[in-house]
Amino acid sequence: MELTANVLEIRELVKDFTSVRAVNNVSFDVKRNTVHCLVGENGAGKSTLIKILTGAEHRTSGKIKLNGLEYQARSTKEAKQKGISTLFQELNVVDQLTVEENLTLGMEDTTLGFLRRTGKTARIVEVMRSIEPSIDPKQLVGTLSVAKKQIVEIAKAVASEADIIIMDEPTAAISESEIKRLFAIIKGLREKRVTVIYISHRLDEIFELGDYVTVMRDGKHIDTKPISEIKDRSELVKMMIGKTVFEQYSPKAVACEDVILEVRHLSNRKLDDISFEVRAGEIVGFYGLVGAGKTELARAIYGADDYEGGMLYKGRPLGGAPDKAIDAGIALVPEERRTQGLFTILTIRANIPAMNMKAISNKGFIDAARERKITLEYIDKLRIATNSTEKEASKLSGGNQQKIVISKCLFAEADLLMLDEPTRGIDVGAKSEIYAIIRELSAAGKSILIFSSELPEVVNICDTIYLLYDGKLKATMRNGCDLDSEKILNIVTGGE
Amino acid sequence: MSMESNNKRPSTFLGRMSNDSFISLFMVGVLIVIFALACLIVPNFYKAKNIVNILTNNWYIIILGIGVSFLLITGNFDMSVGGVIALSGVLSVYFVQGVNVSPNELANGLGMPYVVAILLALACATCIGGINAFFIAKLKVPSIIITLGTMMLARGIAQIITRGAQRNTSLPDEFGILGNTFVPGTSVKISVLIMVVLVLLAFAYEKKTVSGRRIYLIGANPEAARLSGVKVGRQLASLFIVSSFLAAVTGVLLASEYIAGLSNRGTGYEFDALVVALLGGVSIAGGFGSVLGMFVGAIILSVVTSAATGLLLSPHWQFILKALVTFLAILAQRYALDRRRR
Repeated sequence: MELTANVLEIRELVKDFTSVRAVNNVSFDVKRNTVHCLVGENGAGKSTLIKILTGAEHRTSGKIKLNGLEYQARSTKEAKQKGISTLFQELNVVDQLTVEENLTLGMEDTTLGFLRRTGKTARIVEVMRSIEPSIDPKQLVGTLSVAKKQIVEIAKAVASEADIIIMDEPTAAISESEIKRLFAIIKGLREKRVTVIYISHRLDEIFELGDYVTVMRDGKHIDTKPISEIKDRSELVKMMIGKTVFEQYSPKAVACEDVILEVRHLSNRKLDDISFEVRAGEIVGFYGLVGAGKTELARAIYGADDYEGGMLYKGRPLGGAPDKAIDAGIALVPEERRTQGLFTILTIRANIPAMNMKAISNKGFIDAARERKITLEYIDKLRIATNSTEKEASKLSGGNQQKIVISKCLFAEADLLMLDEPTRGIDVGAKSEIYAIIRELSAAGKSILIFSSELPEVVNICDTIYLLYDGKLKATMRNGCDLDSEKILNIVTGGE
Repeated sequence: MSMESNNKRPSTFLGRMSNDSFISLFMVGVLIVIFALACLIVPNFYKAKNIVNILTNNWYIIILGIGVSFLLITGNFDMSVGGVIALSGVLSVYFVQGVNVSPNELANGLGMPYVVAILLALACATCIGGINAFFIAKLKVPSIIITLGTMMLARGIAQIITRGAQRNTSLPDEFGILGNTFVPGTSVKISVLIMVVLVLLAFAYEKKTVSGRRIYLIGANPEAARLSGVKVGRQLASLFIVSSFLAAVTGVLLASEYIAGLSNRGTGYEFDALVVALLGGVSIAGGFGSVLGMFVGAIILSVVTSAATGLLLSPHWQFILKALVTFLAILAQRYALDRRRR
């Protein structure tokens, strides 16, 4: 077969979700045997694009050609058969099996269901040897490091004659020296006639590794260029953020004074010596990319995870457990609403008062009338779309579910409200409603901490912004004066 | 958009109620159908005496079912209740038996006053729940493993004390009173009265108290419960202790009824308690169910066994019959719930 110069051609690709167009008329080519980087902020549409390529999502319209032929995959398996393998962040290896067994998993030769040893196994093992000789094929995969597990997956993809391997943030969980080794392997894949589509938030990696880069923003394709034509990081950052609009932020009329929370030298597995102060009525944003330590910081303050260092809330040390934090007057809207925030199988009425049962009970007995009244009050106040207080939370839309989690925390009557990714996966309307609530609370003298990986969100509502990278607090900015989104993006991607 | 859905009022009473009440009501429906069928087929089934019998003869399973249901709602199992019945029964006998009254060792006990002996037996048997609580709440070991262990531990101690048999001699007269007294003017035992009171208390607890609500929060999502300020470990620990205490009470009542402490008393009751809870719509995945449902489940089982006896069905077939009813009832439940969710 005549090989086309472009291994992948994407034309006018569109993907609509109920309320957003995640991929908006995207067209670009991926050249054969190159490392093609894909960058963009959170929500730029990268993941959706990748999901369409791997068969996890279906496009709304548009054309994709693989090796010059029309391409469509209905499942990850079909994508793999057609030549697109993916190295997900969640690795797809079986720890209890050996390297060799993992390599042949799903492509074993069998007779009547019994495994047959054939030349195939030897050939695949040979492929892996040529990539990374230090891995013993008889070793259990569970004993390998994350980096080596990735290599096993890469070897498997190469052996299955993949044309393209998609790598989604492969360096997020591995060490510096392992990254070097991985990069050497990725560069070596060119000789094996494999094209790599590489996704990373760490921009330095892109300059080190990439041949081409495609930048996406707000679901649109911004540009595809050879890396050599890009001058430096800041040019790339500019392409990623375009013009960020700050008009929504209005500075506080009154200065916030009383310090309500004092964090001193907070450290744990994911956090490194973090210190800061929060004042009454202040909205503080913690901005960083995936893995920067935002969620870990929120959980440590809340007492949900262990930590070292000191924290004073209203002058008193915090108790180190969520129930104590709630008693002291702190509430957390957790990152994952379905698994951490919501009681999905319970009714709205059971969900909303859950963090402050004292307020709806007398000596341990629930006052049903008050419970119902409070529930209706919050349904009304936050405009939760439901026809009954007895509806299970699971039956509501994402935005309404998030409003329930927020109602729960508001009803806790906390003076310090922490919100971890408060608007993830919800539509624009619900988003602005949530922002309005946050501003209202702040005006009432409550302090708000927002942990977010969406820059516009942080920039639009926060008075003070802290930048996190790799578990460290890298910079502090007052909104309104020295705010420079280019600089922010530079810092949170590891620059200085 | 939100306006539109706000205006859409539920049209029916059934549509408005929670899945929880729906399933309880549905199982009452199933009970009525099975009862009606049994009345048609089995002679004299509808007679008051038989109905009273049906409502009361499972009292010990229902008492166990209270603790087991609550734990099931939190997503945990208590398989130790059968063993605890044996232990508390045997201990109550052993503590009260006279000292050195006979050359037969199984006739000699510790000679305690009756009330002290009963209270001490309850306390000792409840310690099994303490062990469960420690391992499950503190060390986070899966409950099914630990309670299978304590099930054997409890029965093992009972076997040692009875030498694998029973103790039934040199007991004071008052020992048999508790289990063999009837509510004046009726054929209802005190034990049944205790069961009814406990079920009502448990129902009030689950529906009306903050502590009861926490059971559902934990079962629905333990992590969200913790982040919402529920002391999950403490709550589970007290439930395991209560479950063992209820089993201990049952054991003392049964020992009194039979005036004997048997080491194999209550064998398999842990499964019966699970079956009635599941029949009553308690979810094995947690977060869902009610003691009232469990009570209905127990009555369904009772109707079936009673009908089988009335039809002179060989006792060998009774297990198969129970199995069939269990399958059918749970299938009907799933079907009803799935239909409703659509």
